[in-house]
Amino acid sequence: MRPAASWVHGPDLVLALVVLAACGVLYYVTTTFDAVSPLFADNLPPSWFPRLMLWSIAVLALALPFEHLFVAGGRKRLDEDRTDRVKPITLATAGALLIVVLAVELVGMALASVLVSALLPLLWGERRYKVLVPFAILFPAAVTALFSRVLKIYFEPGLFGFWFG
Amino acid sequence: MDFLIHGFGQVLEPFNLAVILIGVLVGVMVGALPGLSSPMAVALLIPFTLTLDAVPAVAMLAALYCAGTFGGSITAILINAPGAPPAVATAFDGYPMAKRGEAGRALGMATVASVTGGVFSLTVFLLATPLLARLALQFRPQEYFALTLFALSMLASISGRSSIRNLIAGAIGILLGTVGVHLVSGVERFTFGIAELTDGIHFVPVLIGLFAMSELLAQSSTASLAYERVTSIVIKLPSKADFLKVRWTLLRSSCIGTFIGILPAEGSTVAAIIGYNEARRFSKDKAEFGKGAIEGIAGPEAANNAATGGAMVPTLALGIPGSATTAVILAALVAHGVRPGPRLLSDTPEFVYVIFAAMLIANLMFFAIGLGGAKVFSRITLVPRTLLWPAVFVFSMVGAYSAASSISDVWIMLIAGLVGFVMQRHGFGAAPLVMGLILGRLVEESLSQSMIIFDNNWLRFFESPICLLFFLLTLLGLFWSPLIAALQRLGARRRVPDATR
Repeated sequence: MRPAASWVHGPDLVLALVVLAACGVLYYVTTTFDAVSPLFADNLPPSWFPRLMLWSIAVLALALPFEHLFVAGGRKRLDEDRTDRVKPITLATAGALLIVVLAVELVGMALASVLVSALLPLLWGERRYKVLVPFAILFPAAVTALFSRVLKIYFEPGLFGFWFG
Repeated sequence: MDFLIHGFGQVLEPFNLAVILIGVLVGVMVGALPGLSSPMAVALLIPFTLTLDAVPAVAMLAALYCAGTFGGSITAILINAPGAPPAVATAFDGYPMAKRGEAGRALGMATVASVTGGVFSLTVFLLATPLLARLALQFRPQEYFALTLFALSMLASISGRSSIRNLIAGAIGILLGTVGVHLVSGVERFTFGIAELTDGIHFVPVLIGLFAMSELLAQSSTASLAYERVTSIVIKLPSKADFLKVRWTLLRSSCIGTFIGILPAEGSTVAAIIGYNEARRFSKDKAEFGKGAIEGIAGPEAANNAATGGAMVPTLALGIPGSATTAVILAALVAHGVRPGPRLLSDTPEFVYVIFAAMLIANLMFFAIGLGGAKVFSRITLVPRTLLWPAVFVFSMVGAYSAASSISDVWIMLIAGLVGFVMQRHGFGAAPLVMGLILGRLVEESLSQSMIIFDNNWLRFFESPICLLFFLLTLLGLFWSPLIAALQRLGARRRVPDATR
């Protein structure tokens, strides 16, 4: 007889628990939806369809820890993309993107675009300043000009709007 | 016929031709760049097209779709790095040919095969779409619900490693589609008091986040990578002997690609691999495959481009995307107020013919580009990734914002990107989530209508033979791949003891 451990795939068990917990929280949220007017009482209630989806996700998630048993390639195939740990550079990139999006409200879209065009290449080891500086200024300028002048999209100017509005 | 002439008339206007050319150039560039994909390019272009009229916008995206599939073959042949997944099989024989100094012959064959497959499938598209739409016009809400359910079940077989994960991703997409005010009762769902969510989650930032941001994060660890290139390229048309050798391969692969493309949720990559395998199976020089066989380029290239026209058939006739890129194109059509599905041909028939004409012209354009400009486009890989991906982010950020001039959409894009990255690591695909998001509202709407018609009696779904057929197909769609995989594993286990005995 096989040991029990071989039937359950550890990483997918954790994944299934996370999905089930999220489903539980969202199911609770469906119980807080406003009451429906008696006029619409004959129709499917607004919580019915989301709950159906949450139940479907939960039932499918229950199969995740055992999926390696019936997927071609087994555990190896399921773990292909997650065997390597997330590299620090990826986390730093995600952090940089978060800062840039936070900065959009403060400094406006044009300056935030300049910021990301300089920040990401520097973070990834680009040190050819003769290429980097013109890129970080000209590319965002061209994109924001395309959208604001040609396509007539209004961008919030941000704190320094009097310069770049 | 009048609509066809009208469609060509619209597409041949100078502005629309210019827009198609831009779509082709962007498509070939994106297709040629490993890491950038057609769905990503279409998602990034949607905000730009929102400012255009529906006709040029749709023409541009359709042209990009065709050209993007072809563009992948350039880098597959020259640097052994397929720019797009459908070109994976092209690299098997294309790169060995390039290494032995026949890059031009390989690129020439890839171009001719792509155009052949593309034009063949467009002919089928032109004939099949009205027929399928006419058939689907008889569908009532209950049949439409059953059809959409079947389309969602096909998510199980979309690219990725697991049908269960694809289905979960699809269900998450449907759930995201329920965010906002419930149309029937006016009750807010999952808005968490955020005013911007009352209208629901817009497609555009989610698409950009899932296809562009998650890929940016995935590529961040290999940003300084450089490719080994084949530098001497002389573009020439394949010889008469080459044409004679591949003529049946072209025809076979065009048929395969068109058929695979029409199947909901199957795409160009599957078509290309089957096209390659079949080319090898029928070849007299099987041993040449993998070492630089000309049929090894013709097979997958004709098939993957034929799949583009094929994938448009269910997308337009039924409103069910045939691939990840057509899912994004479907979202673009919806954003432009065009509702794909059976009523498209009766309400706005010009769109079908505009798309046909745009794709046909795109094929002719990339024929010229493929033969004359492949060398130029291959140089796109010289753009350092350390600058390319920040440029993608700038475009994504500005594009997500401009869809509704809202900063909250930029946040949605970023969150979708981060979630997409985590999902990708755990084997959940972005394409099923997008399909769920697009089809979700349709499912809920048709289910609600059916339940009103049936007076809340579920069993009446089974009174319709069409519903029964689709339910059966849904069950097959859900359990076919796991069943086959389980049977294969069982067979393999049985063979081992037999062999030892």
